[in-house]
This record gives sequence, C-alpha cells and structure tokens, in this order.
Amino acid sequence: MTELSAVIARAHALIDGGAPEQAESLLAPLLRGGQGPLPLWAALAKSLRHQGKAKDALTVQQMLVEATPGNLALRFDLSETLLLFGQFERGWREYHWRYSLDHTTRIARKVQRPRWDGRPIPGQTLLIHDEQGFGDTLQFIRMVEWAKQRSQAKVILEVSPDLYLLAKRGTGFDELITRGSLPPPFDVHCEMMSLPMAMGFDLSHLPGQIPYLTADKERLRRWQKRLSKLPRPWVALNWAGRPTLYNGQNRAASLSTLAPLAMEGVTFLSVQKGPTAEQGKAPPPGMKLVDLSPEIKDFEDTAAILTLADLLISIDSAPAHLAGALGRPAWVMLGFVADWRWLLERDDSPWYPTLRLFRQPQRNDWASVVAAIRPELERFKAAHF
Amino acid sequence: MARKPQAPAPSQENLSIEEALNRAYAHWNAGQADQAELFCQRVLAAWPGQADALHLMGVIAHAYGNLDLAIAHLRQACLAPRAPAIYFSNLAEMCRQKGLLAEGEQAGRRAVALNATLVAAWNNLGIILQEAGKLEESRSCLERVIALQPNYPEAHNNLGNTCKRLGRLDLAEAHYAKAMTLNPNYAEAFSNLSNLLNDQGQAERAAEAARRAIDINPQLADAYVNLAAVETGRYRHAEAMRWLDSLLTFAPQNAGGLSGRAIALKELGRLDEALDSAQRAVAASPENTEARNMLGQILQAMGRFDEALEAFSQAASLPGLAVESALVNRAVLFMETGRKDEAKAAFDRALEAFPRSAKAWFNQSDLRKFTADDQDVGRMEALLGDGGAQSYADRMALHFALGKAYLDIGNSEKAFYHLNEGNRMKRSSLSFDVKATGQWLEQIAKTFSPVLLKKHKGSGDPSELPVFIVGIPRSGTTLVEQILASHPQVHGTGELSVLPRLTDGIGNYPNSVTSLNAEQLAQLGRAYLAQVAPLAQGKRHLVDKMPANFLHVGLIRQILPNARIIHCRRDPVDTCLSCYSKLFSAEQIFTYDLAELGQFHVAYQKLMAHWRKVLPADRFIEVDYEAVVDDLDGQARWMIDFLGLPWDEACLSFHQTKRVVRTASVNQVRQPIYKTSAGRWKPHAAHLGPLLEALGITP
Repeated sequence: MTELSAVIARAHALIDGGAPEQAESLLAPLLRGGQGPLPLWAALAKSLRHQGKAKDALTVQQMLVEATPGNLALRFDLSETLLLFGQFERGWREYHWRYSLDHTTRIARKVQRPRWDGRPIPGQTLLIHDEQGFGDTLQFIRMVEWAKQRSQAKVILEVSPDLYLLAKRGTGFDELITRGSLPPPFDVHCEMMSLPMAMGFDLSHLPGQIPYLTADKERLRRWQKRLSKLPRPWVALNWAGRPTLYNGQNRAASLSTLAPLAMEGVTFLSVQKGPTAEQGKAPPPGMKLVDLSPEIKDFEDTAAILTLADLLISIDSAPAHLAGALGRPAWVMLGFVADWRWLLERDDSPWYPTLRLFRQPQRNDWASVVAAIRPELERFKAAHF
Repeated sequence: MARKPQAPAPSQENLSIEEALNRAYAHWNAGQADQAELFCQRVLAAWPGQADALHLMGVIAHAYGNLDLAIAHLRQACLAPRAPAIYFSNLAEMCRQKGLLAEGEQAGRRAVALNATLVAAWNNLGIILQEAGKLEESRSCLERVIALQPNYPEAHNNLGNTCKRLGRLDLAEAHYAKAMTLNPNYAEAFSNLSNLLNDQGQAERAAEAARRAIDINPQLADAYVNLAAVETGRYRHAEAMRWLDSLLTFAPQNAGGLSGRAIALKELGRLDEALDSAQRAVAASPENTEARNMLGQILQAMGRFDEALEAFSQAASLPGLAVESALVNRAVLFMETGRKDEAKAAFDRALEAFPRSAKAWFNQSDLRKFTADDQDVGRMEALLGDGGAQSYADRMALHFALGKAYLDIGNSEKAFYHLNEGNRMKRSSLSFDVKATGQWLEQIAKTFSPVLLKKHKGSGDPSELPVFIVGIPRSGTTLVEQILASHPQVHGTGELSVLPRLTDGIGNYPNSVTSLNAEQLAQLGRAYLAQVAPLAQGKRHLVDKMPANFLHVGLIRQILPNARIIHCRRDPVDTCLSCYSKLFSAEQIFTYDLAELGQFHVAYQKLMAHWRKVLPADRFIEVDYEAVVDDLDGQARWMIDFLGLPWDEACLSFHQTKRVVRTASVNQVRQPIYKTSAGRWKPHAAHLGPLLEALGITP
C-alpha cells in the first residue's frame, strides 16, 4: 500500500516537475495487461495529457469516469480533453463539475434560484454572471446576446469590475452590474461558462457577430494622438499571461524570446501588464519597442491600442481574446499542450476569424514559434507597408 | 480562479434591522454568501438572537454542508415567539437529513399548524412520515402538496416513494413518470424508478434507470445503492461491489452504501468483511433501522444468533422502514435455530402487524403443514388478486407458498398452477444455458482423467479434517450432515462457498488445472484449510455440505487427498420435484424449469459416474436417501465408520441437535424421519411431463 502511494506521489512529482515522459515510463509497466488501481490510471492520464498525447489520455479518462462516475475531478479532466477535441455536447456537460474540485468547492457560488436550462422564459429575469479569468469572459460574452434571444427574458449581466466599461458597449443585456454588487431580483441564473451547456452550443454556432466588443471613442482619440508619430506597422506585444492562472508555464515567455522579431521599420508596442511588464523597459538590441504598459490603466486602454495597432503578437492571454473580440488581427503563440479553447492541430480559430495560431512543436520551445513568426512578419510588413 | 468578490462595508451605512435583513436575504439569493453573512452578523450584533438572522445563518450553514450548525441555528430561531412556519419546515427537513425523525416530525407538524397553505411544510412532513413508516399519513400530506401545487416534481417523486412503500407500485410508477415529465433531468426520480423496476422484476430496465440517474448526478448515492441491489438480485456480486466501492470513494460514511456492501460481501462468502461494513453502517447512522436489520442478517450468517436476534429486535422496535423485514427475519432466525414455537409466535406477530407481508407468508409456509380447510390459503390467494401484492418478488414468493400449501393439501392441479407460475417468474430473471453447462460438466470429467489424478497422487495437503457432502440440492444433504454433526467429534458448518471461490480464483476452470504443479495444489489445499479450520471448534472432522461441490470432486482429490466425500443420492424425480417446489434464497439457477432440471440432472449423473470410477472407496461413498429413511441406524453407523470414528448414539437423535440449519430443508430435519419421502412424485406425474421426458422415465 505504501509502495503504491509512493509510486503515485513520484509520478505526480515527475509530471509537475516537467517530466511527464518519465512518469509514463514509471506507470506503464505497472498497468500492463490493462488492470491496476485507479489512482495509477489517473496519474497515467495526467502524464499523457501533459505530453500532449490527447487521444491516449481521452481513452484512459473515459475509462476512469466509467469506473468511478462519482469522481468529479476526473470528470472535469475528461471535460477539458473532450472540449479539446471539439466534442462539445458531453464536454460542456462535464465542464459543469468545475466547481466540485477540492480547490474550487469553496468558491462555488450557491445561487438560490434555478439554473436556466435553455428554454424560453419570456417575462422572467435571467442573471448571467461571469467567473474565472478575463480571457474567459472576453471569449464567452458573445453568448449573452444569444441567451437573450433564446430566453426572451430580461437579462442582467454581471461582470468583473475590470471589464465593466468594455461590456457596457456590448449587446444582449438589459442591465449591467459588477461582480459583488447586489443584483436586482431575478428568476433564474446561469454562469457565463455554463451558457454553452444550457444552450446546447456547438462549433457550428461560431463565430457569430464579429466584432462583438468595441473600443471607446474617446480612448481611441487619445491613443491615436499618442501613437501617431510612430512609424508603422504598429505591432503590439504581450509575452506572458496572468501568472496566477493554471497552466502558467504554457502561457509565459519573455520579451527576450521575442528578440528575433526585431525588424527595421516595425514599431513594437508593449501591452504587457503584470510582473513581467518591466521587461519592456529594456528591449532586446535592435528592437524598436515603445513601452506603453505604464500608460495602460485598464482594458479600455488595451482595447483602444489593439484597435489602432496593425497586429498583436501575443501569448495565450486576455489581450489575445480582446483582439479577437474586437475583430483585430492577432497572432497567438501557443504552448505545446495548449488550452482546450484552441482545439487541436489547427492554425486558425473558429472562435476568432482574425486570429492565427502558432503552436510549439515541442514542450517549452518558444524559439521555434518565434522562428516561424519571423518570416510571416516580414511578409506582413511587405504586403501592407 | 475567480477573484474574491468585493464585500461591501455595511458598517458605514446606517440601516434599519429590517433593511439589513432584506439585504442579507437578497445577497444570499444571489449566491453572495460573504455579504449575506456580514449583514446577518450586523443584525445579531444589534439584536442578539434575532430569529430571521439566525434562520438565514442556518440556511447558509446547511448549504455549505454544516448540518449540525444549521440545526443549532434553526432550533434557536424557532424559539422566537413569532417564528414563522417556514423556519419549522426547514428545521424539519434538516432533522430528517440528520436522522432525527421524531424532532423532525414535531417541527413539521408545527409548521403546517402555523400555516396550512405552506406547500414546502406539507412536503417535508410527508417525507418524514414516510421515513418513519407512517405511510398512510405521509400519503395524505403529499397528496395535499400536489393539490396545492400540481406541477411540483419533487412532490410527485416523494409521493411515488410513499406509494411504493405502501405496495402500490402502479401509483408509484405514475408519480415518478409525472415527476420526470415535469423535470426530464430529475436524477432522484430515475433512481427511485430503478428501485421500483427492480421490485417488478425488470432488472435490465432498473439498471438503465439507475445509470441514467448517475449520469445526471454522478454523486447521487441512492442511485449507486439501487444499481448495486439490481446486480445483487441477479447474482452479479462483483458488479454490485464495484458500484458500492465507487460510491464509498466519495461518500465513505453512506449508510446505504455500507449496508449494500455488507450484503454483497455476505453473498460472496466474505463474512468478516461483511460484518465490518455492516457495523460501520450502523455506526454511521445509528437511527437507520435498515442498517440494523442488515447487521442482523450478517450476524446470523456468521452463526452469532443472539446478537442477530438483538439487531432484528432493535430494528423492529425503532420507527423506520425496516420493521416488517426485521420481524420476519426474527421469525426466520427462530426457525433456523430450531425454536419452532417461538418462530410460530414471531410469524404471527409479523403477520398481525403486516397482514400483507408476502415475505412472512412465504417463510412461514415452510414451517407448517396446510390442511384443506386452512383459512390462510384463502388469505394468501387474496394477496395475489386485485388490490393485492404488486411487487414481483412478493408475487413470486406467494406462488411458491401456495404451491407448497396445495402440495400439502394434495391438490396437484392447484399446486402446479402456482409452482409453474412462481418458477416461470424466477426463471425469467435468470440467464442460464443448460446445454453449455452440460458441456462444461463433460469437460470437467475429461480434465480430471485417471491419468491426471494418478500423476498427482499423494500431492496436496494431507489433512483429514474436511468431509464434503455433495449432490443435487434436496437429495438429503442436510439430513446426512445433521446425522454426522450429531457426533461429538464432527462439526457441521453448512454450505460453505470457500471451495467454489477457490476454483473461481484459478481462472479458466477446469482446463487450467492440468498445468498446476504439486506445490500449487498443496497451496490450494492449505488455502481451503486456512479458511475452514477455525470453524471446526477443535473437532476431528468438519462437514462442508455445499451440494455444488459435486463439480469439484476431482479437484478435492488433488488438493486434499485425505478428505472424505459423501455423495447423497435420491430418486431423481423426487429430487427434481422437491427442487422445483422451492424458491431458493441462495443462487440456484437450474431448478426453475422442469425440462432444464431434468437435463441438468442427466449431466450430473454422468459426472458422478465418472467420479465413481476414479475415486477410491475409502474416500468416496454414496449414500441413498431412501436407504437412510428405511434404515437410519445401519446407514448412520456406516457413515460414521467411513469417517473413522467410533459409533455414538447421538447420531440417531439428530433432530435434537442444537445447531443451525440454513438451507431450504430447514424444517424437515427438525422432525424425526418419517417414511413419507420416497416416490413422492407419482401422484403428480401428469404435471411433470418435461422433467420425466428429460430424465428418460415413463410414468
């Protein structure tokens, strides 16, 4: 028994330490013949997932859920793999368990009204509330308009205060409030990321109306003025996602990694926020970078800059979603094992027609991604300027 | 993931108590627990013990799974002189969840007295009364709920449960269906429907409904318990265990799960583990009468009768849903331990309290001989008529009981009408391929060839402890064991599943046994002894009378070469007729169809003929039931001699032996032998066509 738990602990340590291959080699012999304790299988699924062996991981995850249907953490893991494959019907259903994990039950919001089930409810009031990261809200806020049409209800939209002004110019809601404030009375509610489940959403509904977010006119004027003297093209740069989020390693590069993109005649604009924004103060040699970060107060500023910029080159993070929502061109650098929302093995996104995806050919290999972007950027410059 | 919501700073505003309470409730409705709690605390600081604030604190504690704290808050809130009905109603439901049925009932009654139009209060009271076994009153509460609010899916689901417990399966099914129409993703309704379908003998549909419930709500404990019950019902014990283990990984204290696991382990013969699980179930839910009743069954299986009786008596005396079952179990325990008068009294008590209890009628039918003017026959027949028993298992049991009654009376026509009905019902719930089974028996004979047995001569463990009694059920195995066990140097253990489980563990039996070496055979022998030796109570011989071990005579010879084997034989038609008239409680799949019975018997005869050829006479004898009946003294002396023991007169008064018999023969061995058994089938020949044909006998 202790030996088993030691193996499991070792496997997880290897995976978390960035050596999922070794974890698989440790586990696979113990599971030869297709039988073994479930925690070993769960560790194997995780090691496969971290290696990007999505298909193998899916097989094991489905088996695990079949064997222990009540294990909601395994169901959530399965949901992410299903969504990665674009298997939305079951994927969204299992994604529903995201607040039933050990580290999330405490933050589950226990709304004392029923969840909207996707049926028309004319005359009633529907509260849609956002959750999780900014990228999620920026990506899924487009569904509020559809929920409004489908439900025929009065819609109250609740968003993070940081996105309030941006959301205000959107459509689909009758009233907009910020998270934490007391909503007016409502009959049913739905988490924003549960709208796909409630509405039976699938890939064919994408992308919907683009753009579905717009920049503020006043901010546009201000930023136009700020940038007007800089030579074009203007290429906005963002090299790291919010470090608190999961899958952080996959979403963090550094400005120096982007050094090969330096190019005569191209003005780079740093829109990086957070702890790595400082790097913008010391750009790589030869790169003409204007560090806008200290001047960006909120998403309204970022939205205006992305609307004015000719291109955004970004890691998987909120600005990438914002560019997509604004219908602006952006090239997104993805880790080898990318988040489910970018699906598999494609360089475009059904969510965002103006985005191109550049995927790592192997784990932690940003150099190849940048090397692939460099000639594209040369072509982009030649074609437009 | 989510950023912590910004809590307001309520202390900076000047709010009235009423306004603060309004905000607290509004925040809670919106799922903003932090702010709701802040406003509650603010009210309580200004007005300690304010009932509305306490009530909300209790509701929040309940939502976050802190039931004890929730009840404490609610109890205090309900002390307020103006506490409204809804507080009592919520307290009632929380008490129910805690298993405090009496307090819950009191709170529920107070709630409906305060406000007779409060739907939730009638609903909550209805469930409590249901769980307390006050079914008629529960039904009227829940019918009132539906009258007040016809489209309330929960009320239909609850009323369905009450109707089911009242034996009104038709009404129950209609209410579940209505609940599911109102809410197509109603996991509890699917789970309850599964339970109902299982009662109606529709195992496959029952399993589907439970799977659907789990699919909708993967942590709905009842659905796992119901699914496991379906699998146990069709003897798929490993499957049942899988579902229960799956349930217990996320709900380790679930009483239903622990109870179900105990039952499955008992069926698998793993009694120590079963007891552990049963005791944990009772500890987890001391008020749960079903868990206590189940604990009694495990103790009984372990031979701890006084404790078992105590558990049944407790379950029968507490309010709850296990009363009927516990009363019957109590009576059956008296019956098995030979306390006939007490058994009769206990059955009378059970039937007085539950005159429609098919389980009581069925079990007591074995205890007595019916006569033509017996009023009980009419009462049982009435239970099969309109407005009678609806559960599949109940109807089946009544047919067997009536079959027994009419055989007693000598009414062959009616006896076979009921036996055919009962057997048909049982057979349709089983999957059994008599042809494949026959081929398997042939394969066993082929595998344990004289060559193989010779090859391993002298292998295995040399112990002389075990004595195996084998044969077809109802061929006198119980009688023979009882005679042997009356000897002071012999202990009878009944039907042990130890050997069948060992053979299951070998895998690909019998083909794989040819590859076992001497050491592996000895290991198997030791494994058998390790499990049975502690049961022997220090005596020289231990009797294992699992009839089905006739399949494993060859293996016994290899792993325990000094074990003695007694083959019980009886007139084939009498044996098969006796099997056909019984509804076995243990797994017995070949006895519910006359033609299959005959075909199986022929295959068995061939296998026994093989053993006769290859086994030595000092280790294998064949005892004819008819000979024992005719010449008890001579046959008993012969068998004791075969065991290598000195003669003891106690063997002739075997019916006085104080030990337990737990097979279908239970009441016959308590009687001195009467010569009524042999040739018993002849008056019924007209009804035995398929059996006689298969056995090649012309009437």
